[in-house]
Amino acid sequence: MSKLNIKNLIKSFPSMDRPAVNNVNLDIESGELVAFLGPSGCGKTTILKMITGLFQPDSGDIILDEQSLLKIPTEKRGVVMVFQNYLLFPYMNVNENVGFALKMKGVDKNIIDQKVKEMLELVKLPDIGLRKPKQLSGGQQQRVALARALISNPRILLLDEPLSNLDAHLRDEMRDLIVTIQQKLKVTTIFVTHDQEEAVLLADKIALIFDGELQNFTSPKNYYEKPKNIKAAKFFGGVNFINAKKDNHNLSTNIGTVHYKGENYTDLNEDNIITIRPENIKLSKNNDFNDNSFKGLIKSVIFSGTHTRYKIIVNNLELECSLQSVGLQDIKTDDTIYVHLPSDKIWAMNE
Amino acid sequence: MGGERLKIILSLTPPLLIIFTLFFGGIFYGFLQSLGYQPAIGKYEINFSAYYNVMFSERYAKLFWTGLGLNLWVSFASTFLAAVFALFGALAIRKTFFAKTICNFIYSLNLPMPHLVVAVGIIFVFSQSGLLARLASQIGLIGSPGDFPVLVKDKYGLGIILAYIWKEAAFFFIILMSVLQSLGENFEELAQSLGANRWQRFRYVILPLVMPNLFSASIIVFAFSFGAYEVPALLGVIYPQMLPVMAFEFFLNPDLNARSEGMALSIIIAIIVMILVVFYFWLTQAKIRKD
Repeated sequence: MSKLNIKNLIKSFPSMDRPAVNNVNLDIESGELVAFLGPSGCGKTTILKMITGLFQPDSGDIILDEQSLLKIPTEKRGVVMVFQNYLLFPYMNVNENVGFALKMKGVDKNIIDQKVKEMLELVKLPDIGLRKPKQLSGGQQQRVALARALISNPRILLLDEPLSNLDAHLRDEMRDLIVTIQQKLKVTTIFVTHDQEEAVLLADKIALIFDGELQNFTSPKNYYEKPKNIKAAKFFGGVNFINAKKDNHNLSTNIGTVHYKGENYTDLNEDNIITIRPENIKLSKNNDFNDNSFKGLIKSVIFSGTHTRYKIIVNNLELECSLQSVGLQDIKTDDTIYVHLPSDKIWAMNE
Repeated sequence: MGGERLKIILSLTPPLLIIFTLFFGGIFYGFLQSLGYQPAIGKYEINFSAYYNVMFSERYAKLFWTGLGLNLWVSFASTFLAAVFALFGALAIRKTFFAKTICNFIYSLNLPMPHLVVAVGIIFVFSQSGLLARLASQIGLIGSPGDFPVLVKDKYGLGIILAYIWKEAAFFFIILMSVLQSLGENFEELAQSLGANRWQRFRYVILPLVMPNLFSASIIVFAFSFGAYEVPALLGVIYPQMLPVMAFEFFLNPDLNARSEGMALSIIIAIIVMILVVFYFWLTQAKIRKD
């Protein structure tokens, strides 16, 4: 198990007018499973390649277990990367692919054979050792690539978009396998993805990256409930944003005064923004709520199976609400409605 | 369906006719001559005595076997060294845009150059009266240009090998650059993260990945240098002589009876080259099936 600290990491490329990675700081604890999440070209793979040593940072440091990695060549870092397209060596069979790292270390052939067998059992592919990569399905190739990466007991395991080339069914299977193996081996793992659902389902913590800058590094739950800024909230499906001002432990907005219970009140700027997830808003035709209840008009109703989405205009501000379709009140377009924003579900951010 | 097939056969007939007449006609007539059939000088008997004479007679056997040895040596050494130079050249410059542009230009310039011109270039540069010999003499490395080692018109075929390396390295280089570019660097990066050092990445990753293309190209180059005439004619010695030169000299012999030996020698060269070509096709087909 290894602890990784990334300090003030900066990397530029001549072809780009802004740094690909701009002053990124991260502390990843031993045994954590961390997701680097962001849109394509945001710099997440560049950070991964700097951790492996394939790219050198312009400035900053990467520290693994209190030791800087910058002067250590890639092959001696103990940081193993699994590439997006698996990259199994086409001229080797599965056994040879999986045993590659040990062969490079000059390990005895009998020990390699034994370890290869263990690894293939770990990824639940015990009987395919003699097959060539082209005889394997995409899911099997991904498992073999994982076994090959794990055989040398890496200090850090890096996975570049590990599920993106798999179909939906295989993706679920592989996701479960990665979590199971990671928890079993306790290897500190970082994976790159642009899929927020994948990040939420897999990661202990998510580093959200936009334009080379780290936006937030926290648990998946916090991204939904307590996002750091509008960008983070929007990336995780946030749609309701209300401009607010501090007002004697409450927040004053143009739909009225909002009672706020968030623990970050003292850290908020005078001007801030309130957000609430669509599924946390409650609706009622009668004013059944004690506080944070505002009168509005239903603009649209969209049935989407298990949930129904409502757009409501409250004092010229559009809010979106998503309710479970089962047992819904009969709410139609142009109905007058009371919108309740539960004070424990509201989150205010500086922006 | 039948009409369509007939249309295809009819449109293919003219080029096939030319190919069959020129290629197989020539081969067939040459083969007949190698069997001793020369009506022009009143020889109608068909036998393998020309083949026997070339390979086993007291007069020619030594010439033939040393010539074959020289042919194999020159073709193998030049093919191997050209491939090695091209491989290391391609690996060295593939990441640097500036060097890549210059090298691509130089190699592209070298590729359409006739072998004859390259052979003359080798004489100008590497012979004992050439540029290097004079330069070495000028700077005092050797006493006089005549002290320069014999690299051209030598019994080991060094000049011929140099000419083929010069010429064929460009061919290898272009093939390798395109293979390396299509492979990208991900395999090497992966191997590096799995603990492979520079040598191991070359030995266990790059070499196996480029080998199928390198091997196919090697067979073509080997077959070409095995059967080519002009470079050995210009840069070779009288003894030992490479087989194509020997065959041509048989053919130019005022004694028309020697033509059968010349043709027998040409057919032997052609058979060896054809075996290589068949092997090459078998290899490429096997690769296609494998892919």
